[in-house]
Amino acid sequence: MKLLAKYNRVNLITIIIVMLITGIIYYQAISYILTGQKDTDLVVEEQEIFDYVKLNHHLPQTFESNDQQISFTPASPGSVKREFINTMYFKQWGQDEKHKKHKHRREGEYESARGLISSVTVGDKYYKILIVESKVETEDLIRFIFLITIGVILLLLLVLVVTNRLILNRLWQPFYNIMSELRLFNIADSKQIPKLDNNIDEFKELNNAVIDMAARAKNDYQDLKVFTENASHELLTPIAVINSKLDTLIQTENFSDRQSKLLNDLYSAVSRLNRLNQSLLLLVKIENRLVHDKQQMNLRELVDEMIIQFEEIFNDKDLKLTYELDDKEIYASRYLVEILLSNLISNAIRHNQHGGSIIINLNAESLIIKNTGDNASLPDEKIFTRFHKSSGSEGSGLGLTISRQICENFGFKLEYLFEGSFHTFIVKF
Amino acid sequence: MKILVIEDEEGLRESIEEYFTEAGNICETASSYQSALSKVSLYRYDCILLDITLPGGNGIDILKSLKENSHPDGVLIISAKNSLDDRLEGLNIGADDYLVKPFHLSELKARVSAIIRRKSYNGSNLLVFNEITIDLLAKDVKVGTTSVKLTRKEYALLLYFIANKGKVVSKNAIAEHLWGDGIDMANNFDFIYSHIKNIRKKLMEAGCNDYIQAAYGMGYKFTAQ
Repeated sequence: MKLLAKYNRVNLITIIIVMLITGIIYYQAISYILTGQKDTDLVVEEQEIFDYVKLNHHLPQTFESNDQQISFTPASPGSVKREFINTMYFKQWGQDEKHKKHKHRREGEYESARGLISSVTVGDKYYKILIVESKVETEDLIRFIFLITIGVILLLLLVLVVTNRLILNRLWQPFYNIMSELRLFNIADSKQIPKLDNNIDEFKELNNAVIDMAARAKNDYQDLKVFTENASHELLTPIAVINSKLDTLIQTENFSDRQSKLLNDLYSAVSRLNRLNQSLLLLVKIENRLVHDKQQMNLRELVDEMIIQFEEIFNDKDLKLTYELDDKEIYASRYLVEILLSNLISNAIRHNQHGGSIIINLNAESLIIKNTGDNASLPDEKIFTRFHKSSGSEGSGLGLTISRQICENFGFKLEYLFEGSFHTFIVKF
Repeated sequence: MKILVIEDEEGLRESIEEYFTEAGNICETASSYQSALSKVSLYRYDCILLDITLPGGNGIDILKSLKENSHPDGVLIISAKNSLDDRLEGLNIGADDYLVKPFHLSELKARVSAIIRRKSYNGSNLLVFNEITIDLLAKDVKVGTTSVKLTRKEYALLLYFIANKGKVVSKNAIAEHLWGDGIDMANNFDFIYSHIKNIRKKLMEAGCNDYIQAAYGMGYKFTAQ
């Protein structure tokens, strides 16, 4: 749920509840005041009746005014208790309201009213007085107040929604900008996260924190890379010395079988060490995009050359090679593309069984290299991570990492699939 | 031939010196920028093996001074820096070749031989080893007067052997020479064996002596004896 939506929801619910409570209180208060006023009117009317009776010694004539009815009924003395009641008032429609009479087939309508029951003694007779006064005006007033309240609620909601839409979205814009910068952030990239221009303290702080963090991460990464590069460089010389000493050693001749086996092992260990070291250096170089020999070339020619290069090794393992190559022009570093092809093809050879097969297809969209091998899919994403190796692999564990990095450098995609007993590597252009 | 090894790493310098010193060869060494500079200004060499990072200076400057004085010495840069830019810079200034550390001594020898061949055989493109004659331009191999048809790799291997004649060349070195650094088929170098078998067979069918000897399962030796 978006912050804005969450905030809106809480806000709306609060406002509605508060407005409803206010409305109820308002209604109660006004109706209390108005009822009080009606009661005062009723008492005044009662007093008038009393005064009249005192003066004239008979009951006043009952007449009906607009909103007031007075009736007298004889009652047994002392049976009437004075009280205010809520009651109904039957209002007859006047001459000018014939259409209503016609419509409702009635002479009038009931309106809610306030009444006062009282008593008066005229001579020796005891009367119950009922004064009823219509509350229709009061109710109109309350209805009016209620409508205004509802109106205010609706208006407030409208204002709130519009404000949120327009202003909050704009207010949060810096946040979304920072987010999109973070999403684009690439630790290996030299691009810095830009300082955003806004005057909200929170966003400024967030922006600064993000910039700091990115710079620190980049620095650490850079340090690490420099370290890798330096370490690999420093390793080159001792490896060169070991290599040359081995080359010199084997010139001394007269080795026993055991000695020559040991020397062979040494040779292969040193050459593995060397390849590993070279791979690390290469990886740093590719990640830093330090290889700048991009040129236009026909990938088909390179693949052809690579196939010739590996010919003896295909034959040695009795591998059946089928290939179908279309012309494909690419703009890339020849040096790196050769490494990519060499890595993928030598993998296809190395992880193949004797007498297996390799299929190479090149067309305008992709380069596909398939090979037979262990009849089980490889862990899809893991194989591209550094130093991931299948057990017993003699490789450096960096080949596919390097391959993927090379592809990324030129905007290609390297993917792995296992389909129909073929391990398939696809370079999508 | 006369060779100067400019390399500050003692172990490496000694190995190279030992490998190159043989009958008819003079191999001198320099371990610092200063001593190297004074040697190249006083003497001429068929080939100079030049390390780039030297105590006291940059090997590239030595190369520049050679070229400024129009000295004809062949120059092979041996560097730990495997960057295309460095390689291009070296070759642009006038180095004849560029070899990245670490390398096999046999590879170094083959490169140096190629440089010296290019420098000294001006015009003539024939490389002769006993009854074997190789036309380097036409890439044509003859034993006596019989032509031998070799594949591209077999031809390269023969040249490699002749450049390292009398030396044991390891299988690793052969594999890297023919298939490049990228080759990491690990301990399985059987395919080299079949290569050697083929080349030997072709040469002997043309009436050539058998010069290629297996050396203790580690490599091969091309020798006249």
